[in-house]
Amino acid sequence: MKRLLLVLALVLAAGQAHGEALPGWAPEEVRAVAAHGPWPPAPVRDPSNRVSGNPAAAALGRHLFEEPRLSPGRQVTCGDCHQAGRDWGDGRARGFGTVELDRRTLSLWNVGYRHWFGWDGSADSLWMQSLRPLLDAREMASSAPAIATLLRGDKGLACGYERAFGEPPGEDDEKLLVDAAKALAAFQQTLVTPRTPFDDFRDALVAGDRAALQRYPVGAQRGLKLFVGRGNCATCHFGPLFTNGEFGDIGIPFFVRPGEVDSGRHGGIARLGDSSFNRLGRHSDDVSDAASTRTRHVEAQHRNFGEFRVPGLRQAGRTGPYMHDGSLATLEDVVEHYSTVSPDRLHSDGVPLVRPLGLSAHESADLVAFLRTLDVEAPALPPPPPLCP
Amino acid sequence: MRWWLVLLSCMVATSSRADCPLDLGHGTGIVIFSDRYMLALRPEPLRIEVGQPFSLLMNVCTKGSEPAELVRVDATMPEHRHGMNYAPTVTANGDGRYRVDGLLFHMPGNWEVAFDVRSGGEVQRLTHGFVLK
Repeated sequence: MKRLLLVLALVLAAGQAHGEALPGWAPEEVRAVAAHGPWPPAPVRDPSNRVSGNPAAAALGRHLFEEPRLSPGRQVTCGDCHQAGRDWGDGRARGFGTVELDRRTLSLWNVGYRHWFGWDGSADSLWMQSLRPLLDAREMASSAPAIATLLRGDKGLACGYERAFGEPPGEDDEKLLVDAAKALAAFQQTLVTPRTPFDDFRDALVAGDRAALQRYPVGAQRGLKLFVGRGNCATCHFGPLFTNGEFGDIGIPFFVRPGEVDSGRHGGIARLGDSSFNRLGRHSDDVSDAASTRTRHVEAQHRNFGEFRVPGLRQAGRTGPYMHDGSLATLEDVVEHYSTVSPDRLHSDGVPLVRPLGLSAHESADLVAFLRTLDVEAPALPPPPPLCP
Repeated sequence: MRWWLVLLSCMVATSSRADCPLDLGHGTGIVIFSDRYMLALRPEPLRIEVGQPFSLLMNVCTKGSEPAELVRVDATMPEHRHGMNYAPTVTANGDGRYRVDGLLFHMPGNWEVAFDVRSGGEVQRLTHGFVLK
């Protein structure tokens, strides 16, 4: 009998937490907000990278991240464009290696949870993506022999390599290049944003904690309702990362310069298929092949032309400018874009996913207020541990 | 959210035929049929998540004794008139059993999966709707 009463009490408590309407929040809205958590998610390991999640590899990757000799003659580091003090971006409208690039530098926050990398998804793993700036003549302009020579010749890096990979650097230059990228990926996977005011609100809403709910600003609550409701933002900015991980055309012009266009996802799929560094190639460590499903089945379609990554929104307020080309300076500009975007710029045969929202000034401010609750000051990383004390 | 799976598992139980096994195991699955064909399918993993690849395990039969072939599977969001970003592949495992890999619903909403089946020369399309939230 006591057990029955206990069960009844638990059922009633659960009903109070999940079934009872909260002031101002419909059950459907609660469910939509709940889908954006919990945070942080469990750490993920990339099966294509045998040192993913390996602390020794992350330590090596951290050293390589700040290593100017990875860019022989240029002295450019990964950290020059992905600056810790700028939320792992550079704050510029367009990236700059040795020349100005055509796209904005993406922040590295939460990069380990992605499935496609870069604005066009031309890489299907974080280590493949890490190879691109290493080899790009406009950025670090390095090569497999240069990086292999560095790993073999520098005592500290060679020791760090052996600790991470269980063997000293070998003679295969391309393998060492890829392993350097895998160590860089192991480090970048550790860059996870802390919990935010939104996460506290989301958890309170799910738990029915009325007292905690009141600590979340009213304007942000209105903005969140717009985000999951009339704004239709959560359709693409889905889940705890606030992205569905795919690509879309939101009406941003894709002319790079007169007569030249950035084909976005369309070109990205072509480059992915052409590369020997994708998950289907010899450098993948995924023996089960289970994590290559997206690569195996992705298919370029006409509508991919001019599509770009749906970015996650955590730390968005701290990582502007915005859009693939850095053409919008502030969060307010982004909200204005969605409020007034011309339907003529959007290519949709059916009910458009993006349409001009026609927001009032108050609604725009509320949406920005909500987005800013996805920002948080992250503690500085401690100095990197020595590779071989 | 998964109420339909429970409902459809009941349909499986009432629709099973000895010569066309429509129960795909785990006591759950989806059965769709036309005047000529019967299809049983079970997602793998069972719970379809937005942005996560999934497969379909299928049995494909005619209502008569003729064998049926699963020719093609694809999915669209009819409301928005766009499909998936991925091209699924169909693998025949014999005796009307198929495996479809590479499906991925990249946003919440109403998705319609189309199954092209044939017995002889005629191809018929059967569809089934999924609602992702």
